[in-house]
Amino acid sequence: MPAMNFNFLCPGPAAPAGRSVGIIGAGPSGLAAAGHLSCLGYQVEVYDKLPKPGGLMLFGIPGHRIPRQRIADATRRMEREHGVVFHPQTKICCSAPMFEEEGDHFCREVLGLKDLVMRHDASIICTGSWKSRRMGIEGEGLAGVYSGLEFLFPIRAARYASAKVKTPEVKGKDVIVVGAGHSAVDAAHGAVGLGAASVTMLYRRTAREAPCGSYEIERLKEMGVVWRELATPLKVLGSESAESLEARIGGEVETLPAQAVIAAIGEIATPPFAKELGLEEVRKGEVHWLHMTAIENVFVAGDALTGPSKIGKAIYSGLKAARSLANWLDLKAQNRLAEYAYDDLVAKDERFRK
Amino acid sequence: MKTLHIDYSKCIGCETCEFVCRFVHSTPRIMMTRTTDGLMMPLYCRHCEDPNCARVCKQGAITRDAHGAMVLEPLKCRGCVSRACMLACPFAAMLETDKGVMLTKCDLCAERRGRGMGPACVDMCPCGAISHADASELAALDTPEARAAEALVLAHIRPGSGPSGAKGS
Repeated sequence: MPAMNFNFLCPGPAAPAGRSVGIIGAGPSGLAAAGHLSCLGYQVEVYDKLPKPGGLMLFGIPGHRIPRQRIADATRRMEREHGVVFHPQTKICCSAPMFEEEGDHFCREVLGLKDLVMRHDASIICTGSWKSRRMGIEGEGLAGVYSGLEFLFPIRAARYASAKVKTPEVKGKDVIVVGAGHSAVDAAHGAVGLGAASVTMLYRRTAREAPCGSYEIERLKEMGVVWRELATPLKVLGSESAESLEARIGGEVETLPAQAVIAAIGEIATPPFAKELGLEEVRKGEVHWLHMTAIENVFVAGDALTGPSKIGKAIYSGLKAARSLANWLDLKAQNRLAEYAYDDLVAKDERFRK
Repeated sequence: MKTLHIDYSKCIGCETCEFVCRFVHSTPRIMMTRTTDGLMMPLYCRHCEDPNCARVCKQGAITRDAHGAMVLEPLKCRGCVSRACMLACPFAAMLETDKGVMLTKCDLCAERRGRGMGPACVDMCPCGAISHADASELAALDTPEARAAEALVLAHIRPGSGPSGAKGS
């Protein structure tokens, strides 16, 4: 299978432009931005906490959906043909306490944002959304209750032989997956693959409304997964670890056996320094320049800005941030920033307001 | 003579094709669609061998270029309100816009082809579901899984009728 091509905007290596850009995060938006800027001849350096570039395309979404090799070959082409430098296992220091999200296990080096900003002409933050949303019900803290990412990430990451990552134990267990997004489907699929005794999916609405689409649900049913709709989890029961789940299903309260509960109900963006960078203002479009944060040469793109979305939106956001960054550096190089009435333009851009 | 081919069985509905197309062309020419039954699919132009859109256009504004792509020539199109081409396309691949002649369609990234590149969506699909394939390569792409998924999609585009109309290239 041919590689993905993040350098799709140029037919081959570009002449050096003498500019250096740092990109934090090697997921879809970071790689798209890196591809665009390296096509302009920029020296691009990409920092990521994980051992390989690709982000959740590699570590969240199963390989039968996105072939591992297609991503690996794409990033190798970026390195070899376009001179992109990857710094894996490097975390850019967060405002929140460290080692609290999935994927932190791999970090070997921690850099401050300031180091990065000083090192490059401009930077883009593309750190995505890694914090899992919780169900907010009793018994959620019991062993055997996972978030979608907590369950999926180790399945993909374990192959990178980190002693800190353990594949979840679900063999012979009754597994309940809450949610019907793509990660819920992947979690159910993963649980079947790991030898669960039974897999049941609970969704608060119906298959017609499921974010993953009805096609995926039909395929799961064919694999023996039980689909229960109009279902709300109420309580996880168990003494030390999960034993069963109480749920309201179509008006009736039922108790279902569950030694593992996976709440795949979405993620929350975890950008570093959200407050210092004024990301709330960026989200609202109250900014000087598209995708620019409160620090003038630091930009932001992808799920870190918008919250969880799809690969396509993240890529588009990364491309737009890259274009905006390049335009800004051009104008700055000509000493013409003052003549640009950017406040009005950005505020009027409806698409940017989400 | 190359055309675009999507293996719907490999598509995960991530919308990358549509957004990359949007970045390159401003108005996307490949559309992610969701049916009321919750089926998601990108709709796209097949650059048919005998295309209905070109046949019904009185201006002759949709023509085949040197590489086999069916392209819309805005200077010939007068944006007629009958929208015959839109109605005639069996794959829902003629798209309305709010600019110019208010119609657009895939031209297999004509400008990019002129610079030695291929369609952008093919480059960027994370799943490798989209191919820019020669007629001779199409048979290999037409796996039983791909055919089954395509049948599901076509049942939604043309409810109540089997594949008919334009013959795919």
